[in-house]
Amino acid sequence: MSVLNTEGLKAYYIIDVLGEKRYVRAVDDVDLEIRENEIYGIAGESGCGKTTLIKTLFGMVEPPLNVMDGKVKYKMNAEYADIFAMDNKRMREIRWEYISYIPQGSMSVLNPVQKVRYSFEHFIKAHRRIRNKEEEFIKPVERHLQALGLPVQILDSYPHQLSGGMRQRVTVALATVLQPKIIIADEPTTALDVVMQRGVIQLLKDVQSSLKNTIIMVTHDMGIHANIADRIGIMYAGKMIEEASTEEIFGNPLHPYTQYLIGSLPKIGDKSYKTSAPGAPPSLINPPEGCRFYPRCDRATDECKAAIPKLVEIEPGHKAACFLYSGVKEDE
Amino acid sequence: MSSKLIEVNGLTKVFRVGSLFSRVRLTAVDNVSFDIKDADIYTLAGESGSGKTTVSRIILGLLEASEGEILYKGKNIMNIKSEREKKEFRKDVQAIFQNPFETFNPLRTVENYLYETQKNFLGVDASDSIDGIEQALTAVGLTLDDVKEKYPSEFSGGQLQRISIARALITQPSLLIADEPVSMVDASLRMSIVNLFKELKDRYGLSVLYITHDLATAYYVSDKIAIMFRGNIVEKGSVEKVLDSPKHPYTKMLKESIAQPDPRDKWDSRVDLHLTEREEYMLKGCKFAGRCPHVMERCRTEEIPDFDIDGVTVKCLLYQ
Ligand SMILES: Nc1ncnc2c1ncn2[C@@H]1O[C@H](COP(=O)(O)OP(=O)(O)OP(=O)(O)O)[C@@H](O)[C@H]1O
Ligand SMILES: Nc1ncnc2c1ncn2[C@@H]1O[C@H](COP(=O)(O)OP(=O)(O)OP(=O)(O)O)[C@@H](O)[C@H]1O
Ligand SMILES: [Mg+2]
Ligand SMILES: [Mg+2]
Repeated sequence: MSVLNTEGLKAYYIIDVLGEKRYVRAVDDVDLEIRENEIYGIAGESGCGKTTLIKTLFGMVEPPLNVMDGKVKYKMNAEYADIFAMDNKRMREIRWEYISYIPQGSMSVLNPVQKVRYSFEHFIKAHRRIRNKEEEFIKPVERHLQALGLPVQILDSYPHQLSGGMRQRVTVALATVLQPKIIIADEPTTALDVVMQRGVIQLLKDVQSSLKNTIIMVTHDMGIHANIADRIGIMYAGKMIEEASTEEIFGNPLHPYTQYLIGSLPKIGDKSYKTSAPGAPPSLINPPEGCRFYPRCDRATDECKAAIPKLVEIEPGHKAACFLYSGVKEDE
Repeated sequence: MSSKLIEVNGLTKVFRVGSLFSRVRLTAVDNVSFDIKDADIYTLAGESGSGKTTVSRIILGLLEASEGEILYKGKNIMNIKSEREKKEFRKDVQAIFQNPFETFNPLRTVENYLYETQKNFLGVDASDSIDGIEQALTAVGLTLDDVKEKYPSEFSGGQLQRISIARALITQPSLLIADEPVSMVDASLRMSIVNLFKELKDRYGLSVLYITHDLATAYYVSDKIAIMFRGNIVEKGSVEKVLDSPKHPYTKMLKESIAQPDPRDKWDSRVDLHLTEREEYMLKGCKFAGRCPHVMERCRTEEIPDFDIDGVTVKCLLYQ
């Protein structure tokens, strides 16, 4: 059962260059079906549209970003609701309660000049009417922190007094305090040492197994994906180009870009020369016609220049968008 | 014979933190020594908040040391007085920062920023020559067209990081100080950036101080590594020796915590995290004593000296 899905989602930045409109096609025709109770990892080249995609999933679409086409649907009370058809009030209600978002460089979620307690209070009051502070605010927050193994004293600290790793874990705690069904996290462990990374990931996993909810996580750290994701989607130039179970993505990558991504991973104990994908990332304003990857692909044929391969199932549960495996084209 | 490009001796930095009434001294960098040779890639890794950025900021002259000296090409740079020498040093030692968004002014085009760097350091106007800029961009796999008339907000973190490396290369420096240059980019681009360091080292004899949490790329690209924990270098030596068979209990814990990019090799235990970094910084003896599985009573009270063993330097009484 899916808990969130998208159909033909297109989200472009519209920018004005010397009086001329240009479209940055950051999310270009993406179909997703995120399942209940799963950890879905998203990886892909820097600048390929991952943050834009998850912002759009969260309904955080503000100019210059525009949804050009397609839908994002949340499953609520056994029905699928189109979030772009909801009014602002409704959207505000379900945010954090139904779906929560840990943004890239998420220190911004905590108010820097107030004690952590204030951020929690502010957050909860925006959603619940609190009559009895002790029963409806303090106790539940303390219980939540304890369940996550965080010391209650942090409530009386200012964000700058906490280490980066602790701050990141507090952000996770804050984003989950209303027990959302879906948690979206963008690079939650960037810039942390590996011990703290492990602590943050452990925490996210604990939250997931106790709430039985869904986590959508973007990270460049393929080691983190290998450790906690159930399925992984690989993005390239605004498109989802491969999707499979974690075992399949690492053990049997199909798309040539994914093969480069997995093949370039260094390991301790191995100093052999590793290459990265050749060439430069494509422009999202004027992406290559046909397959977005063909200019960098050593197996490209004329067909790849002429049409865009569609993301289709190649093996059970394993999708790829590549003419090496399937002739199905995107209709454009 | 390769000579020492930079030598850091007994570097210490004390910050005063806390409110007016409960002010405490935090020794963010505690008696740190290491040296980087010509054409050497030297990694500084370790715990978040252990003083890596502070070390690099002192080298760059952005922060004053409390104690210690830094010799660059044999000269103590802490008492450079003349503007000309300062400028020469800044041209020769270039930096790439953790967050590329902070490197660039959001209101200026990236292109202009590159012109400005050329003008400031080399005195060359863009209208006279942009060859150096084009070469620097080519070295990172970009062209001038890619950055023309564009503002920082139009690039992703990874793209911007490559541009900031190009910017640093314009002055043809001898030492590049790269503070977390790959933390915001994808795995493939990470390799292209560290391969770029390798190439610049092999081709031009560039040295790099590579600060990172990514131990796998550190292993891949560097010659030497130093592991920092709470202001101390707890272990340093050749990257193979330190990471293949770590000696210090903290280095061991670090290595075990690396998330392997292999779903058949997941973490099989849990980690315990400490409360705040403040407390560990304040410890007297070994700062890792509170979490060390081999802790002895002496570790908590004695000052821990460095021990040389198998060509590696370790700050741990187990190796006395
Ligand atoms: N406000 C904006 N205006 C114009 N273009 C933008 C804007 N924000 C992002 N972009 C462009 O949209 C594309 C996708 O950006 P996005 O931040 O979604 O990438 P990403 O995959 O998250 O990258 P990273 O891995 O570096 O975080 C990039 O090419 C970027 O330059
Ligand atoms: N200007 C300052 N005033 C007070 N304390 C500071 C200052 N700058 C850094 N510190 C403290 O010094 C310690 C070392 O910080 P530093 O930024 O050097 O660590 P780091 O190893 O670079 O960490 P990270 O891996 O998170 O980048 C930290 O406890 C930090 O909070
Ligand atoms: Mg992003
Ligand atoms: Mg730092």
